[in-house]
Amino acid sequence: MNNRLRKYDTFVFFLFIAPWIIGFSLFFLVPFGTSVFYAFTDARLPGSVDYSFVGLSNFKDMLDNPIFGKSLLNTLYFVVVGVPVVTAGMLILALLLNLNVKGIALYRTFYYLPTLVPIVATVIIWRLVFNSEFGILNAGLSVFGIGKIDWLGSEGLIKPVIILLQVWISGSGVLIFLAALKNVPRHLYEAVRIDGANRLQAFFKITLPMISPSILFVVIIQTMYNFQMFTEALLLSKGGPNYAAYTFVYNIYKSAFTDLQFSMAMAQSIFLFALISLVTFVLMKLSNRFVYYEGEK
Amino acid sequence: MNGSAGTWLSRTGKYALLTAALILFAGPLAWMLSTMLKTKAETYEVPPSLLPDSINFEAFNRLFDVQPLMWRWIQNSFAISILVVIGVILSSSVVAYGFSRFTTKFKDRLFPIVLMTMMIPPSVMMIPSYVLFTKLHWVDTWLPLIVPAWLGGAYYIFLFRQFFLTIPQELDEATYLDGGNRWTVFARVILPLSKPIVVTTVIFAFVNSWLDFLGPFLYIKNNEMFTLSVGLQLLIGQTSQDFPALAAGAFISIVPIGILFLFAQRYIVEGVVLTGSKG
Repeated sequence: MNNRLRKYDTFVFFLFIAPWIIGFSLFFLVPFGTSVFYAFTDARLPGSVDYSFVGLSNFKDMLDNPIFGKSLLNTLYFVVVGVPVVTAGMLILALLLNLNVKGIALYRTFYYLPTLVPIVATVIIWRLVFNSEFGILNAGLSVFGIGKIDWLGSEGLIKPVIILLQVWISGSGVLIFLAALKNVPRHLYEAVRIDGANRLQAFFKITLPMISPSILFVVIIQTMYNFQMFTEALLLSKGGPNYAAYTFVYNIYKSAFTDLQFSMAMAQSIFLFALISLVTFVLMKLSNRFVYYEGEK
Repeated sequence: MNGSAGTWLSRTGKYALLTAALILFAGPLAWMLSTMLKTKAETYEVPPSLLPDSINFEAFNRLFDVQPLMWRWIQNSFAISILVVIGVILSSSVVAYGFSRFTTKFKDRLFPIVLMTMMIPPSVMMIPSYVLFTKLHWVDTWLPLIVPAWLGGAYYIFLFRQFFLTIPQELDEATYLDGGNRWTVFARVILPLSKPIVVTTVIFAFVNSWLDFLGPFLYIKNNEMFTLSVGLQLLIGQTSQDFPALAAGAFISIVPIGILFLFAQRYIVEGVVLTGSKG
């Protein structure tokens, strides 16, 4: 291709990707840019024209707010406790669904169904199941002599209940693990069996290393998701009881739409973005030591 | 565990494990079905009965009485999801063609940015986007939900690009020899060969739009413009003690996706695995 043709082709390339360039600029660059700008002002409403620069005072106020610490701790709980529990749940389910029995396809369908339930419907269903008076769960537990448990109304239980809900809708992660399990070469298992390894050893020496890239992927996605925990907490218990499920994003939402302090909400968003980026970066760095990539050796 | 040698667990043991897990996963859905078929009085029995005494659909009548906008919300959800699907297919396939078939340094520099945007936490963008939409006077319209879909979502661009890369370049060259240009290659060669990925994307975009809660919840205030999900959320507040009606509402919001899943399970699984296993 001569030079003029090449230039023309580059022009055509930009025509093809024009929708993305417009979308990326309009729905990412512009809002992100303005939010960085507004975070240092005292604008209260999205359309405010009457504002002044206040330097870092939004960030200072954010740290001074007593609810800030609580919301951060709650969020960290969802990350530090929630992510390992949900990931382990997905892995166990994937191992179960990888069993070689008749009718397994039907089981897989049923396990995946909850993932396709709209979150509001999921919350309705959980309210029905976990209702302390009339729910089926407490009725089932009473058979074993366990008294009424106030699942959604107790400070200690609301976070575990939300994590359980996450396991219930974890079908996508299960599918990713299932695909990874199917890609582990059979002959590796045969090799270690000849060496006298038992099932558990084979799992830790072969299965886990071979699917570690998928584990990393799922852990990163789930970590990012749980840092942003909001919808479940909002719909299930309005962040309560007594702020027990009040997360960082809930805080952002409240700053903007209840307190009408958009500049504060922007500052909080930037803080969250920095936090998530940092944690994702550290996860990626750490993972080099644990994740095994085929073909790299 | 891995299919190779399943002798450590008896077949009965395997089915027992699978069935126990099945009860955990399908049980809540079954409880929803049972609840929506009960009368209101039945749901206040202690201990609750597992199944309704007789099947009745009163809950649905009550639901549509209490909330006359139910039909409207269902129609809104369909309209938005369909507009999103059309936009996603048109824009993402064009953009993906650009990112899969051109040789320019810009492609290699921009595509990583496309991938990066897949990793941007959406809730970080929640407030900045809200401010933008306020300034555009898009709040309380469907535009914030639909327009972004017409401008190429990263996730779908990635799906299309992965598929386009598997189509042999020789086909493009044959078309150029016949006097075709970039657009003819895309419209006459690539797109007709991409039926499987188009189907996957249609389903995925529809499901994702149908499942979206936060977008419509934040950007739409007028009840008549609500999607079904946001409407149901309102309903939780209004009729929190009418369990059968709530269950009926949940059921209605699941049905379209459930039907889609029955017919297109293969595509959904494919889409999840394709975008998930790239890591």
